[in-house]
Amino acid sequence: MSIDVSGVNKRYGEFVALQDINLTLPTGQLTALLGPSGGGKTTLLRIIAGLETADSGSVVIEGVEATRLPVQKRNVGFVFQHYAAFKHLSVARNVAFGLEIRKKPKDEIRAKVDELLRLVHLDAFADRLPSQLSGGQRQRMALARALAIEPSVLLLDEPFGALDAKVRKELRDWLRRLHDEVHVTTVFVTHDQEEALEVADEIVVVNEGRVEQVGSPDQLYDAPANEFVMGFLGEVTVLGGVRLRPHDVEMTTAPVPGALEGRVVRALRVGFEVRVTVDVAGQDAPVTVVMTRTHARSLGLEPGTAVWLAPAEGATAVASATPAARPAPEAVAG
Amino acid sequence: MAETRRASAGPTTYVLRVLVIAYLALLVAWPVVLVGTNAFANGTQAMVDVLADPDTVHALQLSAIAAVVATVINTVFGVTISMLLVRKEFPGKRVLSALIDLPLSVSPIVVGLALMLVYGGRNGWLGPTVEDWGLQVVFATPGIVLATAFVSLPLVIREVVPVLHELGTEQEQAAQSLGASGWQTFWRITLPSIKWAVIYGVVLTLARSLGEFGAVKVVSGNVLGETRTATLAVEERYLNFDQEGAYALAFLLASVSVLAILVVFVLRARGTRHRAFERQS
Amino acid sequence: MTVALEGRPGRARPTLVNHNLTTASGIGLGVSMIWFSLLVLIPLTAVLVTASSGGWAEFWRSITNEQTRAAIRLTVMAAASVTLVNIVAGTAIAWVLVRDRFPGKGLLELVIDIPFALPTIVAGLVLVSLYGNDSPLGLHLANTSGSVYLAFLFVTLPFVVRMVQPVLEELDMEVEEAAASLGAGRATIFRRVVLPSLAPAIAAGAALSFARAMGEYGSLVLLSGNLPFESEVTSVRILSAIENDNQAAAASIAAVLLVISLLVIVALDILQRRVARRG
Ligand SMILES: Nc1ncnc2c1ncn2[C@@H]1O[C@H](COP(=O)(O)OP(=O)(O)O)[C@@H](O)[C@H]1O
Ligand SMILES: [Mg+2]
Repeated sequence: MSIDVSGVNKRYGEFVALQDINLTLPTGQLTALLGPSGGGKTTLLRIIAGLETADSGSVVIEGVEATRLPVQKRNVGFVFQHYAAFKHLSVARNVAFGLEIRKKPKDEIRAKVDELLRLVHLDAFADRLPSQLSGGQRQRMALARALAIEPSVLLLDEPFGALDAKVRKELRDWLRRLHDEVHVTTVFVTHDQEEALEVADEIVVVNEGRVEQVGSPDQLYDAPANEFVMGFLGEVTVLGGVRLRPHDVEMTTAPVPGALEGRVVRALRVGFEVRVTVDVAGQDAPVTVVMTRTHARSLGLEPGTAVWLAPAEGATAVASATPAARPAPEAVAG
Repeated sequence: MAETRRASAGPTTYVLRVLVIAYLALLVAWPVVLVGTNAFANGTQAMVDVLADPDTVHALQLSAIAAVVATVINTVFGVTISMLLVRKEFPGKRVLSALIDLPLSVSPIVVGLALMLVYGGRNGWLGPTVEDWGLQVVFATPGIVLATAFVSLPLVIREVVPVLHELGTEQEQAAQSLGASGWQTFWRITLPSIKWAVIYGVVLTLARSLGEFGAVKVVSGNVLGETRTATLAVEERYLNFDQEGAYALAFLLASVSVLAILVVFVLRARGTRHRAFERQS
Repeated sequence: MTVALEGRPGRARPTLVNHNLTTASGIGLGVSMIWFSLLVLIPLTAVLVTASSGGWAEFWRSITNEQTRAAIRLTVMAAASVTLVNIVAGTAIAWVLVRDRFPGKGLLELVIDIPFALPTIVAGLVLVSLYGNDSPLGLHLANTSGSVYLAFLFVTLPFVVRMVQPVLEELDMEVEEAAASLGAGRATIFRRVVLPSLAPAIAAGAALSFARAMGEYGSLVLLSGNLPFESEVTSVRILSAIENDNQAAAASIAAVLLVISLLVIVALDILQRRVARRG
């Protein structure tokens, strides 16, 4: 196991930032820490790096007890959300920094820096200052800088958070490919579920200082442990006390046993999908149903059309709890 | 930036502009120019005479030495205190950060008196003891250095603290995650990043130190050829009806200060451009 | 599909700050504090202790001596008036520097800093040259109380300007434009929108300029003539007491100035925190 976090607690004054965190991440895996802003992801990542100390609990990295080790001794590569580029040093000197600190021979440093700059496609920019790079390039430089010290684990805090949507998508595919090449144990923080689902081998959902669920993207999406995870990973609608995805609601224009009757309020076309809002008798909030355009057309939906709704077979569903309560642990899956 | 901030030019704008220019011209610019013209009223003769006088040269040297020593001390002290105030937590921090500004608002005469009361050779609190060690403070060069260091103490700190705040700790943390010790982080990352602020601070401290008058007047004893500094020499010449000499010496000192402001001005403009570029890219 | 926006930039995180002092920084703090005490704290304490050494009555007698009282009155009056002028003029200058654009504006920036960098005695000579007995303007302020006002105006010029300028630069023009779009006139916008944002900076600049004026010495000695009851200021009184070897009296008057400085420092600390919060 590459990273072992057990029983970690962290408070800021009265505020509980992390509560009894236990995590085990295998060597070579690409893991996402996913959750809403303020949930404690950064705090957890920084505790793993040694940039922050936990109030209690322990961190073991590559079998080495690291809880009391200062950040300098942990040999972790940390990539900061805002790059933390050394503004007064050239791109090459930035990447060389950790090697210079380790007093590596000059030609070894030069060779390593060249290799890394090629890896992150910045070999043409070696002599530029960070201020002369775009955001995406700076982020790649930060990544090369972290990789230069051959870290036992690579930690990235919202690595693409400050970039615009297109660059973010490019970089995220590139990170996936890079990881497949370099194979260093990697943990990255994100609040974007799409990013986590696309890139990660495993996702750790963190919310309000707790781990809500750990699993592969498929497990999380198909079998969310609770209402929170379900809601965070995708859109949710409530049908007859059950929470499910809008595309998992089956709609017919004729009565079906077990289905709930409702009336179409409106049908809105969004690209290739149609989002239908349905008022169901005895239910406060309307139900949202998503279907393909073809299907919608075949049903001939108009405002006022009477329809019958039922969960599709094999739908991901979670019993709806009272709004204030914690998500029910007895999740119904499948 | 100036482009977007530009107010639509109405009559108020022009009236304000003219008033401000007139005010500054009458209060500062014209009088300062007059010092130059007065200094060279009879050609360069006054300047030559002043520089030929060994006592004046001594006074200039003394001022320079005191200013340089005070600046070195205040720079080391200032950078240390700035780092502590911005990067560390310790009890009494807030009080210290307020007290640091005190020298800016204390009368130079009070500064001189305060130093006399502690380091005076006859009946100062510490003066007799220090004198027993063979070090005369008041009425000697160390007293002049202390007075100079006192009045210019906060200048480096006032320049460096905001820059350290703005710099943040991310780069330092990155350096540490790459294995740099606290000391290495300071020399390789922090100091290069605050370099310009330190330089402004040094230039301002130097200018302020060179020009200190009141505090030095009290503690120096103003002995010709020994503890008379350049600023004291200006007063002395003026009071002895050597106006030309006074103006010539004043012109020398004023040139140094104007040069100092120019240096800071150019550096600052450079820094602003730098930062604007970084923000936009 | 982004769920939530990260609001807190990394640099706001005061993490390293929470660490206690390391050995090295502890030593640095210790040495710095010893130096600061030897240079500033102990000497200033000595002033207060010496002032009180003769008892309250003695202290009171020193500072209410007729000539001293006149000097303190003149200094406070002049410092207060000059501060008021600076509040208006300084804000106007800052406004012109930030919002107006014309050739030669850079020169004004330089001119603002001259009073700060010029040796005070040179400043005194500078003022003598325009307002002294050979005044090309025909304004003869030498040996009058007017010279004190003039010298104070000169040396305190940069304070309000330099406090207000950065705040004005950071001020969001969109807020003013929003106010204008809601129908506010220029005067109303200035009074209701701009001025409240500038107020802490103006106040901080005013505090600094009042403190500076209260203690001023070098720039006025040549022009004012130091005539008792006419143009003699507090620091000149202190200096004559020192020269007469009356340290107790000197310390008593100095203590008054020192207390004013301390009050200003406290006010400034509060105001600067407010400026920082608004900025
Ligand atoms: N240095 C700190 N002092 C006080 N509170 C903090 C500090 N760092 C983080 N927090 C708080 O801890 C919570 C978790 O923060 P963080 O780990 O940054 O969340 P995330 O990265 O998931 O958005 C937040 O509510 C934040 O306000
Ligand atoms: Mg975060």
